[in-house]
Amino acid sequence: MAHLPEDLETKTAVDASETFVNTYYPTLNKPNGPKELADFYVRANPDSPLKPDISLNGNLVADPAELEAVFEKQPAKSHYEVQSFDCHVLNPNYNIGAPDDLLEPNKSGKKMSIMVMVNGSVRYGEETETQGFTDSVVLVPNWDALGKSPKGKRKWLIQSQTYRVIL
Amino acid sequence: MLQRASPTHRGPRDSSSSASSRGRIQKRKAGPPRVDRDGDLMMDAEGSGQKRKSARVQLGDKDSSGGRGRRGRGSGGPFRAGNRGIINAQQAIMRGLGAKQSQANILGSRITSDGAMLRIDGLESSKAASNPDGGVESLLAFLERKASSLDSKSNRTVKIKKSSMKGDSVIITASPNDIEAIQKLDAFQFAGAPLSIKAYDSPSRDLEKKADEVSPSAQQTKDMFRDILATRYDPTLKLLNLSALAQDPGLINMGVFDGNTTTSKVFPALMAVCDGLFKSRQEKREAIVSVTLADNALVNVGNVSALAQKLPDIKNIDLSRNQISQLSSLDAWGKNFRHITTLILAGNPIEPQLPSLKDELLKRYPYLEILNGIQIRTAEEVAASIEASKFPIPLAAPDFRDVGQVGENFVRQFVPMYDTNRSALLTNYYDAQSVVSISINMFAPRNVKISAPIPPWAAYTKFSRNLVKINNLPTQMSRIHRGSQAINTLWNALPATRHPDLSTQPDKYLIECHPLPGLVDPNGQSPRGVDGLIVTMHGEFEEESDKAEKALRSFSRTFILGPGGPGGPPIIVISDMMTLRAWGPLATSQSAVAAPAPAPAPATATAPELAEQQRQAVAMGLVQRTGLNFNYATLCLQETGWDLEQAFIAFNANKERLPADAFATGNFT
Repeated sequence: MAHLPEDLETKTAVDASETFVNTYYPTLNKPNGPKELADFYVRANPDSPLKPDISLNGNLVADPAELEAVFEKQPAKSHYEVQSFDCHVLNPNYNIGAPDDLLEPNKSGKKMSIMVMVNGSVRYGEETETQGFTDSVVLVPNWDALGKSPKGKRKWLIQSQTYRVIL
Repeated sequence: MLQRASPTHRGPRDSSSSASSRGRIQKRKAGPPRVDRDGDLMMDAEGSGQKRKSARVQLGDKDSSGGRGRRGRGSGGPFRAGNRGIINAQQAIMRGLGAKQSQANILGSRITSDGAMLRIDGLESSKAASNPDGGVESLLAFLERKASSLDSKSNRTVKIKKSSMKGDSVIITASPNDIEAIQKLDAFQFAGAPLSIKAYDSPSRDLEKKADEVSPSAQQTKDMFRDILATRYDPTLKLLNLSALAQDPGLINMGVFDGNTTTSKVFPALMAVCDGLFKSRQEKREAIVSVTLADNALVNVGNVSALAQKLPDIKNIDLSRNQISQLSSLDAWGKNFRHITTLILAGNPIEPQLPSLKDELLKRYPYLEILNGIQIRTAEEVAASIEASKFPIPLAAPDFRDVGQVGENFVRQFVPMYDTNRSALLTNYYDAQSVVSISINMFAPRNVKISAPIPPWAAYTKFSRNLVKINNLPTQMSRIHRGSQAINTLWNALPATRHPDLSTQPDKYLIECHPLPGLVDPNGQSPRGVDGLIVTMHGEFEEESDKAEKALRSFSRTFILGPGGPGGPPIIVISDMMTLRAWGPLATSQSAVAAPAPAPAPATATAPELAEQQRQAVAMGLVQRTGLNFNYATLCLQETGWDLEQAFIAFNANKERLPADAFATGNFT
């Protein structure tokens, strides 16, 4: 398996995961954030039937609409804070859901799947104690962002998420 | 609020020259206060009774028809003079008051004072004592840092306002909350010496600074307030009776009700004196559990808002027979009294609306159990709802969706082998493509109850790939370890570990997994990739060290498992990522979900032991019989040891209490 140049691979993966932690958790903190969550996940369509696998505290969430409902239930002023994260490239040439013309490896690392593990704190509402969470997320390319009109589209989407309050 | 309290208070004190002098003269007529051998004020029930009888009521609340009734209740109730036990208790209180005289004698300044003091000993035997300043600076920095981090959940920074030396002791001043936090550091080690941290009364402070300022009349006013508080406190019930203050002969005698002034000015002063009687918030919390404010003609709690500041931890509040007409009338108490379990609003205009206000009240008072004498929730229901708000996303049992027991077999082998034989582990599960890295989260929240110091991170820091901190590309590259050899080097450098046994201590772990598609096909056959498994493991391990103390750490570790290449192990770890954090027990479903029956075994113990299909079949059986969704059905089965009949019985016994989303139509299906 031909790997990308190590520095390019590292930089691309770190950038992708950094963008993820800097956008996803602030969205959870926003009052209307839950409505924007679906945008972070892969969307199943006839060309790419794979649904995101979302597990929150052991509860399976069927789709992003249900996810929105889950996060709507969290008290106002909930606050997530990322305290550490790390990432690995899992597959430098991820092809699930890829259009046929994009099956070849991408030299600039745009087709990787990336494992991101995030550790941080969360406070639900103002009165409760701060808790710790771990979120293990697999990011995959957003094929739309690699297509004809990539502008304004997220480059990476969540394919798998295992979230747990651990403290 | 402290600032707000002070001007309202100044009124009676400033006017005391004319008004309270009457009270003083009367007291003098009755003879000087008797003092026992220790110099404590003696409480004489008979004497004070006499005094009351002779007292001229200066200004009764003529509007309040409850006045006489209250007196009758009061004298027949727990405050009846002549009851030996009460007198003894009152004497005990007075003794406490006497001991605290120095603090209580600053009625005026006490209200505005926003600090308390602690005495810290042990600095002179610490290594820091050889510092140029005797180590004071580093001690203060240590206290601030430790107290802040102990309390890390509140994200509050503890600040020491003032410090001074008294002999070898360091005296510090800080806000009451901070004092409480710093007091927890008592017996902590500082630079090789144990610290002693005790509350500090500063008799000299008051004598030096206040003696010439505090007029004898102010002193006497305070004594009288203390006197009144003592007669209104029932130590058996831990009840402070602040009802019908306008009819209190003692207060009337003091002349504090000068015309139109009622509780608005007396109350903050009374509360300030009351506050001064206690050394710590804890002492106060233990002494006063209930407060009655009945018969005070309160339209709202604005005039008695001082109660919320001075006694925020009380559990029962009686507001009977006031004029409270709406929920917003309680707003002046703000978010205090979150811990009240009983609220009585009988005889208020709001009473008929209470049933419809129940939800609002519960939001405001999340621990409320009894409203107007009616039990609206049980303690268990309160606990469950508190847990639910703590975990808005319910903590379900581990979501372990294994494929052919690959995940289970891996975990069962990995845990013991990582402790005892890392090189064999490498041979069995890692190959040239495996990637490993670790990161440290030094800021992870900790349970406030855990005060065990965090063992130093030194052995790990040079490997930490916490990308919050590591922003430089070469370091990001060098802290990733690819291939068995590099991983071997890393693992040899990391401290040896001892993980809890997975089969005997499953509660120490939380392990989940599910299939993950799109991994590299090691045989190069499938361009769309192959399926693997993502396994997340949360747990703890003990670090092997030569020190006597156990070094425990908590970790989260994510593994991506996939098929191995030709000639290698059949299953390999593609990615192994670990985050370390300060040790703390795991939040597990047992603590978060109201168990329908006592849990016979921790969820994780039984889960992997039953074959996946068998478990699913049993769970589906319960789903069909109950309409529960799969997760709740699984949960229910875990609590009942996977006995379908027992689970069904438990379900029937508890179905009323299950949340809506427990059922298949809910959010989690």
